[in-house]
Amino acid sequence: MQFLQQLVNGITIGAFYALVALGYTMVYGVLKLINFAHGDLFMWGAYLGLTGLTVALAALGYTTPWAILPVVIFVMTSVALMGVLVERIAYRPLRSAGRLAPVISALGVAFILESLARNVYGASWKTYPQGLTPSGGLVLAGGVRVSLMQIIVLVASFLLMAGLYLFVHRTRVGTAMRAVSLDHDVSRLMGVDVDRIIMIVFLIGPGLGGVAGLIVALYYGSFDFTLGWIFGLKAFIAAILGGIGNIPGAMLGGMLLGIIETLGAGYMSPQWKDVIAYIILILILIFRPTGLLGERVAEKL
Amino acid sequence: MSRKFAPVLLVAILLISLFAGCKKEPETIKIGLEVPLTGDYAYEGQGMEKAVRLLVEQVNEQGGLLGRQVELIVEDDAGDPTQAALVAQRLVDAGVVAVIGAYNSTATEPASEIYNEAGILHITPSSTATRLTQKGFQRFFRVCFLDDRQGLFAAKFMKEVLGAQNIAILHDNSTYAQGLAEHTKRYAEEMGLNVVFFDAINPDDTDFTPILTNIASAAPDAVYFTGYHPQGGLLLKQSGELGLDLQWVMGNACNNPELIQIAGLENAVGTYVTTEPLPKDLDYPEAKEYVAAFEAKYGEPVASVWWLMAAEAFNVIRYAIEQTESTDPAVLAEFLHNEAKDIPGLTGPILGWDEKGDRLGTIHVAYVIDENGNFILNPEQPSP
Amino acid sequence: MTALRERLQKVNPLWWQLGLLVLAILFPLPLGDYHRSVLWRTGLYIILGLSLNIIVGYAGLFQLGHAAFYALGAYTTALLNIHFGVPILLTLPVAILVGAVFGYLITRPILHLRGDYLCIVTIAFGEVVRLALVNNIFGITGGANGLSGIERPVLFGLVLRQPIYHYYLVLFFLVFTIFAVRRLENSRLGRAWMYIREDEVAAEAMGIDTVRVKLLAFIIGSGWAALAGSLYAAKITVVSPDQAKFLESVIMFCIVVLGGTGSIPGVFVGTLGMVTLPELSRALKDWRDAWLGLAMVTMMIARPEGLWPSRRIRMEIRAAKEEASVAPAAGN
Repeated sequence: MQFLQQLVNGITIGAFYALVALGYTMVYGVLKLINFAHGDLFMWGAYLGLTGLTVALAALGYTTPWAILPVVIFVMTSVALMGVLVERIAYRPLRSAGRLAPVISALGVAFILESLARNVYGASWKTYPQGLTPSGGLVLAGGVRVSLMQIIVLVASFLLMAGLYLFVHRTRVGTAMRAVSLDHDVSRLMGVDVDRIIMIVFLIGPGLGGVAGLIVALYYGSFDFTLGWIFGLKAFIAAILGGIGNIPGAMLGGMLLGIIETLGAGYMSPQWKDVIAYIILILILIFRPTGLLGERVAEKL
Repeated sequence: MSRKFAPVLLVAILLISLFAGCKKEPETIKIGLEVPLTGDYAYEGQGMEKAVRLLVEQVNEQGGLLGRQVELIVEDDAGDPTQAALVAQRLVDAGVVAVIGAYNSTATEPASEIYNEAGILHITPSSTATRLTQKGFQRFFRVCFLDDRQGLFAAKFMKEVLGAQNIAILHDNSTYAQGLAEHTKRYAEEMGLNVVFFDAINPDDTDFTPILTNIASAAPDAVYFTGYHPQGGLLLKQSGELGLDLQWVMGNACNNPELIQIAGLENAVGTYVTTEPLPKDLDYPEAKEYVAAFEAKYGEPVASVWWLMAAEAFNVIRYAIEQTESTDPAVLAEFLHNEAKDIPGLTGPILGWDEKGDRLGTIHVAYVIDENGNFILNPEQPSP
Repeated sequence: MTALRERLQKVNPLWWQLGLLVLAILFPLPLGDYHRSVLWRTGLYIILGLSLNIIVGYAGLFQLGHAAFYALGAYTTALLNIHFGVPILLTLPVAILVGAVFGYLITRPILHLRGDYLCIVTIAFGEVVRLALVNNIFGITGGANGLSGIERPVLFGLVLRQPIYHYYLVLFFLVFTIFAVRRLENSRLGRAWMYIREDEVAAEAMGIDTVRVKLLAFIIGSGWAALAGSLYAAKITVVSPDQAKFLESVIMFCIVVLGGTGSIPGVFVGTLGMVTLPELSRALKDWRDAWLGLAMVTMMIARPEGLWPSRRIRMEIRAAKEEASVAPAAGN
């Protein structure tokens, strides 16, 4: 029973990692850039969600789950715009500057976003308004408990991921995206507007990340400005584990990392949970840098 | 070429020696306050500053101490040991007589070394780690009580009031929380309780469901969490959402209204907190008067016991200066060690200090969170 | 900056070096203990910056977990002194050794990784070290609170207590470091690092044992960072896992990048910007992380060679830029 319960716990946190990992993977796909700022964009989703909810509840004057809908749209668009802005300012000028300069620039953006959040919202823990999320849940066979909120989180994550998968594989823009991730120059020759595709990636990735921030904050109910770094790093590890640049890989990696971490915390000690994640990262990078689902790329740099 | 450089050097040296020469006879009595105004504990530090400032203003309005005005010099250590060592140096440079601080034991430790070497009276309002007073510093005192006493109280509370036989103890690896957890474990085992679970969380985490699931399978009668309130709140919330039937008891770092906000009221109800009494429950005229003055000035209640403890530290310094008519830290420390007995404190009468600088007596009580989200004194308390 | 630099180069270097040393010795005398401590801290971070500069600047390997070695040095000194009563100054060589050995063990398996992947792995290693210290590994690191009760260093019967003594101690090691680093820069090994940084394949073709040479950069840099950690422990008398924080690694990294990778004066400039100024200015302290970030982004975009670059790197970057502007930008 304990094992199954830990599995449920792990899948929930894995869904969060997967949602955030998608943003890393998409950007890496088209730019070969580790977008360190993604975790902090995700965190801004949580903060903007707080502002949005406060305003929505004050304006609508009632406390129902439906107040969340306009907030979702608000968070999605504003974080997506932040993502595009970050790309314009910090990444685009560096597109021909090798691989390391953009990574350092991304790390710089992460620091700026975190510091902004801390100075604007304050360093203390922020709590979401009470009573927005449904309580209660199911008790499955063997006393394993799944809360309603866990089910909602899983369903929402699955829908978002499935939608993204279909978008990338079934639409013209998605096809162009895949083309760009293979080769910028050839795509350009084929008539793909590479800059526009990159912009779309920076709309979708951070947009999804922002919503993930909102969902995480709703689920846990409270957070502080360190949220972005910790979740960001974990999600990044998930993306690497699944094979960075690969969308189903991000989902698989997220779920796996969530489960491994939770079982590690449950059967060893929660203190070593993060260490387990880092060690997975190190081992994957040493022995199989392409991740579980990544294609083998012959690359030497 | 050296001709070009020599005058530059000379001017530089002259300039520097200029502002070294401007030391003047102190007219005010300088008291230092070293608290975290930024960082994780900013909430406590900012409140502590308000609490002390109020008393300083009151003293100065009444003509100061020994006819001299009191000047409060506030420094921010951000709760960080390196920063604490630097600002401690700054307070020493400023020529303070006494320092109140720091908030957390980790910051207090390196600062206390510096104050000790400079011969300054140092009173911590809130650092409860036992080892701070083990170094034989003659001018270091606390107005709070040791973790060790709270551990004893918590063990007694769980045994006598909750009737627990099997208990779980959880900390977060910080000095304070780990110390409190270990003291509690020791006392609990001496009393014949079984500690069926003892482990630490990682305070950077937000998801504690794995450890909660583990605690539940150990089926303790009570769980004592000794860490800070953000994690305490999350533990209560996730424990409630997992539908676990755990009786939570929290240490004094969870004595904060934010605990209930983070946990959500329905998950926090019925949780016990072992702590020094809240300002509102202190049944002494000095305390009531101070709490009223604080509310009148700032328009908010004295929300944390540590704010009051900071004011208490100032109160002790003031008392010592008045009684000895001296601002010599050596005289003040001597007085506090040997002569100070039954000082009318804001947190109740202060019995005095032992030779290590630890405050005598204990004032821990147990609170319970009621349906309205208030911390109320639990009607049942363990035997003293 | 460049103009100043060129003018300074015309002066016989020995003179202004001597002048700077005299200034460094006299400067703290009229200051209070706080400002002396700030100077001490500045000197310490310059040593750290120079040690990281060997890895990042000379060998071109991106190390974002350098603070782990700084912490290892501090813990080595603390453990040896507290448990075995070894005098502080005698723990310094042991700390260097421990730093170097860990530098070898940690980097040996990851040397083959490409730039950005190497960068990530070093972050992960740094965090593993920090968490191991927090979790009180083997029951010796004292948990999140670290270790305390470290004695003061004693030199010829003089107990080094006051900040001024610690400043001079750090200054001594700083001068030694600069001397050593400059010798290293112009040695066979130093030139091998530069070749690898410029073109690893060509360096290998020329018969340079790239693995060995890269490892040496990590070993020397890590050992030297550990020395700085010991000096920290000697003054603060408390060590804590906070020293291994990722932020510390980023600060060290920024010191090197901001000042100019591979440049010794660049490390001085970087330390002033990243450590000294934020310490002296409260406003900058609240926004220090943003300031770090802004420096990283703008430096990458506007001045990738740093504020006070080494001549060699500046020429390399100029050449690379010209090359890039001639050839159409490659997509990936």
